[in-house]
Amino acid sequence: MKRSAAWAVLIAALFLSSCRPQKLQVSEPPQDRHAPFNYVGQKGMVVAAHPLAARAGLDMLKQGGNAVDAAVATAFALNAAEPFASGIGGGGFMVIYLAKPKKVTTVNFREKAPAAATPTMFTNKGETLEQWRTERGTAVGVPGMLAGWSYALKKYGTRSLAEAARKGIEIADGGFTVSPTFSTINKDEYEKLLKNAGETTCYLNGGIAYEPGDTFKNPELAKTLRLITTKGIREFYGGEIAQKIVAAVRAKEGIMTLKDLAAYEPEEMVPLEATYKDFTIYTLPPPGSGGLHILQLLNIVEAWPLETWGHNTVAYIHHLSEAMRFIFADREHYLGDPDFVTIPVAGLVSKDHARRIREKIASDKTAAVYPYGEFDPGQEKKENTTHVCVIDKDGNIVSLTQSINDFFGTGIVPDGTGFLLNDHMADFSTNPKSPNAPHPSRRPVSSMGPLIMFKKGEPFLVLGSPGGTRIFSSLAQIIINIVDFGMTLDEAIEAPRFFSYSVAGKPRPVSVESRIPEATLKALETLGHQIAVKEDYDKYFGGAQALMILKPKKIILGGADSRRDGVGAGY
Amino acid sequence: MKLAWKKTILSFLLACFAVASHSSTKQDAKTLFEQPALITSAGQSADGLQASVLAKRAELRAELVKFASGKDLENRKTLILVLGASMKGLGAAGIDTNKEKERIAQLLAEAKKKNIPLLCLHIGGEARRGQLTDEMIGDYLPSAQAAIVVKSGNKDGIFTKICKDKHIPLIEVDKVLDVVGPLKAAFK
Repeated sequence: MKRSAAWAVLIAALFLSSCRPQKLQVSEPPQDRHAPFNYVGQKGMVVAAHPLAARAGLDMLKQGGNAVDAAVATAFALNAAEPFASGIGGGGFMVIYLAKPKKVTTVNFREKAPAAATPTMFTNKGETLEQWRTERGTAVGVPGMLAGWSYALKKYGTRSLAEAARKGIEIADGGFTVSPTFSTINKDEYEKLLKNAGETTCYLNGGIAYEPGDTFKNPELAKTLRLITTKGIREFYGGEIAQKIVAAVRAKEGIMTLKDLAAYEPEEMVPLEATYKDFTIYTLPPPGSGGLHILQLLNIVEAWPLETWGHNTVAYIHHLSEAMRFIFADREHYLGDPDFVTIPVAGLVSKDHARRIREKIASDKTAAVYPYGEFDPGQEKKENTTHVCVIDKDGNIVSLTQSINDFFGTGIVPDGTGFLLNDHMADFSTNPKSPNAPHPSRRPVSSMGPLIMFKKGEPFLVLGSPGGTRIFSSLAQIIINIVDFGMTLDEAIEAPRFFSYSVAGKPRPVSVESRIPEATLKALETLGHQIAVKEDYDKYFGGAQALMILKPKKIILGGADSRRDGVGAGY
Repeated sequence: MKLAWKKTILSFLLACFAVASHSSTKQDAKTLFEQPALITSAGQSADGLQASVLAKRAELRAELVKFASGKDLENRKTLILVLGASMKGLGAAGIDTNKEKERIAQLLAEAKKKNIPLLCLHIGGEARRGQLTDEMIGDYLPSAQAAIVVKSGNKDGIFTKICKDKHIPLIEVDKVLDVVGPLKAAFK
């Protein structure tokens, strides 16, 4: 479809939808959960991975809270309602747009390595590396979540931590019905939970995984949140809860200390900014890598005739997969904690670097090797998750991605607290010489990439997703689906996805959702790609949440990914 | 005892149990299989581990061996095969579907050689169905002497049809935890 025609379709679709009576879709997903469906709001909206969490955020907006208040209320609610993906035992990143001063900023509350971390802390173990990085005490990074939420509320919010936590506490106390998504993930992570949390944990139902329709309650989490909101976050970073965290981590051979928790501080950072066609994107700088890689991928594809190739055609998947592999070579070579290593950010997101990568990509075959880009160091200065999008009545916006890494994190629950500890130490490289090797107090590179995209200086798209290393490719594909293929917001989110990467310069298979036709896959194989077919709508590719702001029409659209349990709630 | 003869008796006793379990909350202690049992998963889902927890609750002497082979059947009197494939589980184990199928085929062949009866479980419900699981159900269930399944995994009647065709006693339960009763009753 020609770009102009695609835009015409998009505008026509939006016009038609605006002509219908504006019945706001608060929390009722369509019967066919995969059918593209845009939630509609006029004043404000929250999109999150659980209906109760979206409702918690909406209630905050309706009570006069701003976007930051609502984002934190939603985040607390997600800890209770989607505990397998995020919570106070983890960390994350927030991109905030303040409408009045037209300012974009980011808050980094990524976990940090404990002070006793060393580059060889995993290789020294000499056995089952994955386990030490994902399921043992050594896997737990110092959580930043509460410090980040609290910082954002104090600086940019209008409500107290206690007000923001209220709905989360109610959900933890009152419980909710387990969805098929929760149940499937609970079964997948059963072994870890049984081993680390034990048969009596609330994260298992009488020692067995939850089934759809069961009721999940977490009164211990409610109690913990009440304690924190009464005594303040110092209770988590230096009080009784801190002692329980350290005891739980060290009981599983971890290295965290009370000093590590007491020393944790979130960080406000200047966003990374770049353009894609007529749009300007603001996203996270490192140690978040997702934003940087989205910009790299969009820079590369910008000069390709995407509309001529067509969506998810052989040429399209081939070229983008090749681009992803070159980006992974850069990631492997350069990315680390910017407080400790030099990352050539400007070079990596430059149009020149994108052009050089484009020139290495042949249209009729895969590359033999995927080298990283080289930059003049003198020019540079040292510098599995859930997503929430919020916009308030004044146009303030939050794009928040937060995580405990793998589903159910390490599966370690500090005694009597009801929250799960992250396994984000797994995001460090096992190669002691890597810029992303563990070191004292460093932050591991994250794949998260919450972003806000502007058109002519006005916010147009708010976007983010879980999905580990697939985050940037999924988000870039959603943006391309909207900008180049004229899809509506949720069509862009639900469209079939693919992903590829490279390791040490060697290509890995192209992973595809099974909705991509077999003939396309066979043709890709003839170009030299190995193919790994995933499910129709596979959580492997994330669970994106998005807002589209159509300012002239005073309409806000919300798109929530059916790969997870996402919904929008607007008013 | 020949397997065919055992199967007839097991069919009768399990049918009795099925009637009893539907008509009374009291668990009928009809004994069908013997202990100790070997538990293994066909498809490397976490359902194998869940089955071992259920067996513990049923006070059975049963051991889970994730990658059980013929030699693990030594001194076992029953093989419990937990049907349910997980791509995540297979991936974590670093084995592909063909290797997993090969392992199960060899295990079943060895069990048949040793006259060790097979009890099939499917406890993952509707979510633990899919192409690979369905292939495994079709390949392995016909060799079973009995099957216990969680109802939601049998919505399309796949277990009912195979069990009816092969005269295999089938017990359906509503929830995973409900497996404990029939499991306990099925063993001496």
